[in-house]
Amino acid sequence: MARFAALLRRQGLPVTLIHVTDAVRALEHLDVGDRQEVYFGLRAVFVGRPEDLPAFDRSFEAFWRVATEADGVAEALAPSLPEEAPPAVERDAPREALALEAWDEGGGDDGEEPLGVPAASEREAMAAQDFASFSADQLDAVYRLTVQIARRLARRISRRRRPSARRGRLDLRRTLRANLTRGDLIDLRFRRRKRRKVRLVLLCDVSGSMDLYSRFLLQFLFALQSVFARVETFTFSVHLTRVTEYLRARSYHQVLRRLTAVRDWSGGTRIGESLAEFNRRWPGLVDRRTIVIILSDGWDTGDPDVLAAELLRIKRKAGRVVWLNPLLGNPSYEPLTRGMAAALPLVDHFAAAHNLASLRALAGTLHL
Amino acid sequence: MRDEIRKIQELMEAAEYVTDAPVATSVHLAMRLRKPLLIEGHAGVGKTEIAKVMARMLGTNLIRLQCYEGLDAGTALYEWNYQKQLLHIKLHESTGRSAKEEEREIFSEDFLLRRPLLQAITQEQSPVLLVDEVDRADEEFEAFMLEVFSDWQVTIPEIGTIKATHPPYVILTSNRTRELSDALRRRCLYLWIDYPPYDKELRIIERKVPGINHRLAGELARFMEALRRMRLAKVPGVAETLDWALALAGLHADHLDDAVVSETIGCVLKDADDIKRFRAEVQKSGLAPFLQVSG
Repeated sequence: MARFAALLRRQGLPVTLIHVTDAVRALEHLDVGDRQEVYFGLRAVFVGRPEDLPAFDRSFEAFWRVATEADGVAEALAPSLPEEAPPAVERDAPREALALEAWDEGGGDDGEEPLGVPAASEREAMAAQDFASFSADQLDAVYRLTVQIARRLARRISRRRRPSARRGRLDLRRTLRANLTRGDLIDLRFRRRKRRKVRLVLLCDVSGSMDLYSRFLLQFLFALQSVFARVETFTFSVHLTRVTEYLRARSYHQVLRRLTAVRDWSGGTRIGESLAEFNRRWPGLVDRRTIVIILSDGWDTGDPDVLAAELLRIKRKAGRVVWLNPLLGNPSYEPLTRGMAAALPLVDHFAAAHNLASLRALAGTLHL
Repeated sequence: MRDEIRKIQELMEAAEYVTDAPVATSVHLAMRLRKPLLIEGHAGVGKTEIAKVMARMLGTNLIRLQCYEGLDAGTALYEWNYQKQLLHIKLHESTGRSAKEEEREIFSEDFLLRRPLLQAITQEQSPVLLVDEVDRADEEFEAFMLEVFSDWQVTIPEIGTIKATHPPYVILTSNRTRELSDALRRRCLYLWIDYPPYDKELRIIERKVPGINHRLAGELARFMEALRRMRLAKVPGVAETLDWALALAGLHADHLDDAVVSETIGCVLKDADDIKRFRAEVQKSGLAPFLQVSG
């Protein structure tokens, strides 16, 4: 069982010691001669989410086929094994990859005071500069600056939310409790409606040139996340990927590596289809307390009608829909692409997210 | 197959729940290993039903904790019945008892409102505790629940610690609107219920709508299979299938044709765009593709 667990772990399943002991205990209650039954039983123990099913099936198949030769298993699985921690960068990859490399080297220690933070005047200049125009070695500093700004904003926003002294409705229960030993109602207690934090759903275009902007937006919003009840993040180009889990990694280092692993560079952007997939698979994520942020340049190879229909569906449910388009930072840009033209009437807030100043401005609009 | 598992399957079928080996095996292990069973799947595939059937099967109580955003420990565990306490004080004002006595009196079990979690640990016989739609509760609540699950005891400051003599069997369901924490997943056995394949759905229809025409039931199951392959905004679950089957049985239909489908499609498709898309599809290539055996 330990060997099987190790195999599952290599296949990417989050297997712990508890799982292994459970599995051993489970076998006592299963007919070990019945392969089907053992399969269903172990599946109930080891698989914690439907995404892990294929990997489990593969492993189970392979393990029981060659269970006699301990090392044969890994070989049998070799072709389907995901590469362990794919190298963050390929030499011939475009500029975005360079950015990745720079970040990857610099990231990691959150608590440490950044050494290379530029002087104030330099910062001002940086804030106005388009992310894409930074050189690879500057990006690291810019990233740190992004996080700094976001943290400062988070502090300010949470202070703004301190409850006011205004009286709300009388709270009968708490009033009675407070006055239990007095016999009369002296100390009145009030109930204010609890302020609920806003939820964020991020849909980030990671195709081609958008990838760099997506990364900055993600970092920015994640540093801001204490302000929100929840941040759900998806990336899309041709397909939609939920990356919320990936972003929970402990260090920025890990986050980047994981994101690199889910990246799909397979070509154009199909925003409409991606939104449709979002609506179909996660219909419960968006409600009136949710701000939906879409980051994309609107270069859509899909059908603009689909885009409009799906965006409308989101708009009907969401508290607010924000579309960020880095191209907007260019004064000569006009949103004429078919996708953008279809989407614009349905968007509550249309802004750029191409530099630090625009990210800072964005934070001011993220409330309901 | 183990006799116990076959037994569970039989009992579940007897309790009007059409089941299969994965479900029966998971339930069996959850009961044996005394671990909570986390069930995920699309809406309307019968997740909640498993807990109900389990309670019926074990001849024990079903205690349900419906989760929602903002659900807190107090609502889930216990509250003091303030109104009753106050009345009690008013009624006994003249007896001249000391405040201490009075306090002991009103913070006794008589004045305790037991909410589902407390109910679940104070039963004579292990009940089935259904924590429904746990993904709707906040993460803090999830953590609180894990704490309760780990040793099945609760401390009420005024009364003391209550420990379960008969810890409940726990079923958690989730619709995946939020990713549950890894800690919770580790603590549970897991069961993913997909939409039923053709033959299982057929069995469900014939079981739940007795007297339905056999041909109609078969066509319905085929139809649903094809319908779920369409890109729909709201994919119909088994609950929808059954609504539809009941409606059709009520209309004494014995097969599906254009007129019947077009009149009753609202039973399964509940989104205007989906219905539009479906009608366009039928206009283009007729009903036949929906009734064919899939490749």
